[in-house]
Amino acid sequence: MSDSPEDLRRWRLPRGRHGLPRELVERSQRERLLAAVVKVTASKGYESTTVGDILGEAGVGRESFYELFDDKLACMLAAHKLLVDDLVERVREVYLDEGAWTARMRRALAVTLDWFSADPETARFTLVELTTVGPAFRPIFQAEFARAVALFEEGMDDGAPKPELAKANSLAVGAILARIYEEVVLGRAAKLPRLLPDLTYELLVPYVGEERARAAAQA
Amino acid sequence: MQKHRSSEIAASVLQPTTPLDIGARNQRRRIIDAIVDSCAEKTYAATTITDIVGRARISRTTFYKHFEDKRACFDAAIGYCIEQLQEAAAAAHAVEDTPDDAVRKGAAVVIQALAERPGLAQLLTGDAIAVDPRVIECYRKATIPAIEGLWSGSDGSAKAHSDPRLAFGQAQVLILNQIAIGKADRLPELLPEIVYLAVNPFGGHEAALRQSQLASESAISGVAPGER
Repeated sequence: MSDSPEDLRRWRLPRGRHGLPRELVERSQRERLLAAVVKVTASKGYESTTVGDILGEAGVGRESFYELFDDKLACMLAAHKLLVDDLVERVREVYLDEGAWTARMRRALAVTLDWFSADPETARFTLVELTTVGPAFRPIFQAEFARAVALFEEGMDDGAPKPELAKANSLAVGAILARIYEEVVLGRAAKLPRLLPDLTYELLVPYVGEERARAAAQA
Repeated sequence: MQKHRSSEIAASVLQPTTPLDIGARNQRRRIIDAIVDSCAEKTYAATTITDIVGRARISRTTFYKHFEDKRACFDAAIGYCIEQLQEAAAAAHAVEDTPDDAVRKGAAVVIQALAERPGLAQLLTGDAIAVDPRVIECYRKATIPAIEGLWSGSDGSAKAHSDPRLAFGQAQVLILNQIAIGKADRLPELLPEIVYLAVNPFGGHEAALRQSQLASESAISGVAPGER
């Protein structure tokens, strides 16, 4: 690195005059911070993670951090929302597409399992670390669970089977969440996609009974 | 004085602690109640020994007579809670009950107990798992063999219709969600689903639906049919 007067002068220039528009700088800082909070929290745990850790990983200054987020929790929750939004968007694409409900459900499940298996750190952050943030966890879990159940229902057209249990859709979302959560906690996120047949079966039983669920799972 | 180490969490569930003298037992109970309440209120991570001794109204010295550290105390508390729920579930049904009926009655009692102590329900389904995910294994050991045992004939094996471990996870998610929406006291509303999940693995889908139906009828009338 040279210490030419030109470089120093440029260094002191206010933001927005070094070629990158201010919003773009902030956006990339925000993205770096969000990526950093996922990585650090997944390896150290939420409680032991400090804002300093996040800054170090992201290569962003403390002032910039606090311009973007109130605190560690706000940063974590922003990252969490971004990830869940991404997952929901990918699931919507296949689940709300054309075709029979059981087939779309199976494809949506496959996309979900692939998403969580793609990066174990992200999976751990999204599912496990969120439970350790304290009281803030509850409204978020509730909202995301409700969102998942609503999406599940949105894809149930007239051709979809009518379950005999009142809360069958909550049960189905619960099955997906419980299975993925367990695999992630046990460090087996990478192997999630191979659970597709079993999980399809378990999900379908309350809707179509054991025989038809078995047939659909092996399709 | 008996101390618990973290590794003893499973053992403490299976082997009830040797009876201590009444005074010490009361202290131990107060400490356990205190850590459960404090964790429910501010999470395990944020709970300090000071919080625990303050709530239990005992000295630090007394705390350390019973437990090596916060983690050991927490593990003992979780073990104690599991044990209590297990005993309540076992006492809820009679010898002549069919497995389906026995599971429905056991589930009703456990859900009722959790509804009466929302903090405990929250702790068991959330914080305890975050502290040590292996606790899920303890829950399963406390429930699945007991349920399976109701179905197993003289050969000692029950045919599984679906994975009991998954059913367990589903029940946990449903309960957690009910707590998240601030309706922990209304956990019994979930009874039809919980009963379905509890019966389905070994009783099958049809039996699970029937028991689920019975559970929702009892929720409406307030009394389970055929009980008492």
